[in-house]
Amino acid sequence: MKFREYVIYRLVLAVFVIVGVITVVFFISRVIPSDPAALWVGAHPTPEAIEKAREQLHLNDPILKQFGYYLWSLLHGDLGVSIRTHNPVAADLKSAFTATFELILVAEFIAIIIGIPLGVYSAVKKDSWLDNLSRIFAISGVSLPAFWFGIVLQLIFFKRLGLLPLAGRVDTVVMLEHPLHVITGFYLLDSLITGNFPVFVDALRHLILPAVTLAMYPVGLITRQVRSMMIEVLNENYIRTAWAYGLPPRKIYFKYALKNAIAPALITVGLSFAYTLIGAFLVELIFNWPGLGRYAAYAIMSMDYPAVLGVTIIAATAYVFINLIVDLIQVRIDPRIKL
Amino acid sequence: MRKEIAVFVLAIVIFGVVASGCISGGNTSTTQTQSTTSKQSSTAEKTTTNVVIYGYQSEMITLDPSTEFSNSIVVLANVYECLVKYTPDGLKPWLATSWESNKNGTIWTFHLRKGVKFHTGNLMTAEDVKWSVERTMRMGMGPAFIWDPVKKIEVVDNYTVKFYLKYPANLPLIASSAYGAYIMDSKYLSKLGDDKAIAAWFNKGQDAGTGPYMIVKDKYNPKTEIVLKKFDDYWGGWSNDQFDLAVIKIIPDASLREQMVTSGEIQITRDLPLDDLPKLKNNPNVKVDQTPSYQELYAFFNTKKAPLNNKLVRQALSYAVPYKDIVDYVLHGYGEVAKGPIPKGMLGYFEDMKTYTYNLDKAKQLLAQAGYPNGGFKLMLTYTQGDQAEAKVAEIIKAEWKKLGIDVEIRPMNWEQQWALAKSDPTKAQDILMMYWWPTYPTPYDFLFNMFHCEKEINFNLCYYCNEEFDKAIDKAVTLEGIQPDKAASLYKKAEQMLVEDAPAIFLYNPDDVYVYHKSISGFKDNPGYPQVVFFYELHKA
Repeated sequence: MKFREYVIYRLVLAVFVIVGVITVVFFISRVIPSDPAALWVGAHPTPEAIEKAREQLHLNDPILKQFGYYLWSLLHGDLGVSIRTHNPVAADLKSAFTATFELILVAEFIAIIIGIPLGVYSAVKKDSWLDNLSRIFAISGVSLPAFWFGIVLQLIFFKRLGLLPLAGRVDTVVMLEHPLHVITGFYLLDSLITGNFPVFVDALRHLILPAVTLAMYPVGLITRQVRSMMIEVLNENYIRTAWAYGLPPRKIYFKYALKNAIAPALITVGLSFAYTLIGAFLVELIFNWPGLGRYAAYAIMSMDYPAVLGVTIIAATAYVFINLIVDLIQVRIDPRIKL
Repeated sequence: MRKEIAVFVLAIVIFGVVASGCISGGNTSTTQTQSTTSKQSSTAEKTTTNVVIYGYQSEMITLDPSTEFSNSIVVLANVYECLVKYTPDGLKPWLATSWESNKNGTIWTFHLRKGVKFHTGNLMTAEDVKWSVERTMRMGMGPAFIWDPVKKIEVVDNYTVKFYLKYPANLPLIASSAYGAYIMDSKYLSKLGDDKAIAAWFNKGQDAGTGPYMIVKDKYNPKTEIVLKKFDDYWGGWSNDQFDLAVIKIIPDASLREQMVTSGEIQITRDLPLDDLPKLKNNPNVKVDQTPSYQELYAFFNTKKAPLNNKLVRQALSYAVPYKDIVDYVLHGYGEVAKGPIPKGMLGYFEDMKTYTYNLDKAKQLLAQAGYPNGGFKLMLTYTQGDQAEAKVAEIIKAEWKKLGIDVEIRPMNWEQQWALAKSDPTKAQDILMMYWWPTYPTPYDFLFNMFHCEKEINFNLCYYCNEEFDKAIDKAVTLEGIQPDKAASLYKKAEQMLVEDAPAIFLYNPDDVYVYHKSISGFKDNPGYPQVVFFYELHKA
């Protein structure tokens, strides 16, 4: 199969996956006993107001017809209106999505730049104190709950040291004094493009704690993965040959060994994106990060089904595409894998 | 391979940017124009950090004053004004300076304040009042029912407006409502198109009110923060120690709000964990403000289902509740035992109302009289999932009633589910339902009518109580509220005594509204008529 054909094939599959997810989530969220009309009208509605809402939301129609309505508007790029906030779901999701994605990206970046070297070194210095330490670090990263770690970081860096802000994405006053021209929705990127230095610094300061908290899990995962792959690869004949040639250790480890060890680690990185998305749900709550996690939690708790569906679509799409990208990169890196 | 990783990261970034672009659809051009205007206005604001921040727990809903029936009054009450302002000490002039009615309270005349400007620059006149109320009535959504008594609105002259009613009602109180009674600029809004177009205009983060603050449109984000800017031409004038900017910052996590208010990152907040209040009271950086709210917690008996259809059983159970302990344990003392169905501080609350007190002997005696000397029945109690206070109360009730041989099954439910079950067939529904009530505007009728008046179709009368004598008394009382308040009060009292006697519900407690504010501000006063609202205009730098 050619590269392009493969991509198209995967994209078609992705559409099926996403439609499947939408169908399942739609029916589950509508089968759960709840009354969207009651949620729509607010706290103390009159029976007339509820009836009116029921008609407005097409709740009196058969559920298949409602599903039809939903799919039809989805085809037109309309994700519907949130039952709880009365806002268009697409608009809500846009800002939430960029906030979360910025956070996850930085967290993954931290995870990669710490996880890979740590994994390599602990494989090279197997059973040394560094290896043990990094193993403890990795295991605690995977097993310690993110919310606990986040709160500890807040206590140290905000309360004790006063170095970093407690929560939020950017400081209200800073934003008021230096309004940000929003282009992509990624504050770091936007402030860099527009040369808004105070907002860049502030956004970065706000990012550090939640991103580190969120990175804990993938750091552990990547370190463990890279370590075990490296140990395997370092026993291979070609590495011995490389030693025999007298190549510098740095080159052997990072160029020849890591190249073969990285492929499985990349899959881990891709999958850990999905984990971090889930991890973001809790981390966003602790750090008051206005992202998808917070939005989804609210939507689920109030059974706001258009919002739940919106989040699901975004999450499923992100997951499918990240997997696709990982697979494609793997083909490029590892010649043993054929399309 | 570093290159490969870089490619990978880059691919993800591109995916993210493209995806966010897809979601935003065609809106990019509008956001750009918005932010250019924000850049211009920013130069004016550059020198000021004169801002007060209110940390608030939930997101904003709609900004349409005609339909908004939820949290967003936190914004609206600072941006719009009503004809009349409710205070616990009585009604005060707001956009109207005075008002009077004919003898039987069916025609009300309001005299408007002169020289009041809308944020749009237009002058506020009687035409705006008529248009605003008529729009709310026409749309018929959310709080529109408050205007049900109104038959016709007449503009007498620019500063006089007359309301003709279908039946006598306390119109000034209605006109003070926190929901659905805000006056909007008709000249500006009516040009925007139909009611839907106007609603869409509002929800972009714009307003057409007369209040001391206006919404800064390009900063409007109902999920994270709402920035309000002082309106220079406000009729009340400004002093130097007031705030130029007021921000409502959405922070759902209570412990986070607590840390932020003690560190001064935000200046005021509410709904902090009650366990932490003693500690905060000792913190020199913050002040704790405690005011009775107009909220009450009820446990409704299912009066349509045995054994609770027996009045004696209901009375017995009403005696078997340790009211004081509940307030101490659940509210940590931040509240009071309810005296009947109306919260303290409102019209219709009577200090001398005879209510039930904790008395297990009396309860046993009444149960025996009813034919259940050893209890021996099972009751299903529903409460709203996630409400810690209701959960604790339910546990206490269960433990107490066990002493009477009654088994309580506690079932936490999502509110919509809880309500749906209650509205189904009463003979198959729950036995006891816990729910809070607070008024749309502070009249006892709102409580008594919604929860205890006979209902053909079940809505909020979730004890399924029906007593024609009671109905007659309250239906009469509400017509007298505006013109003969004393007579109205005595009728309400009579009706409430009937309720206490018939015991269709347990009247549990009235929680306090507790605000915590930083020492850097002063002037805060909670107004229970406008729940959760902080009137930023009243705040000063300390």
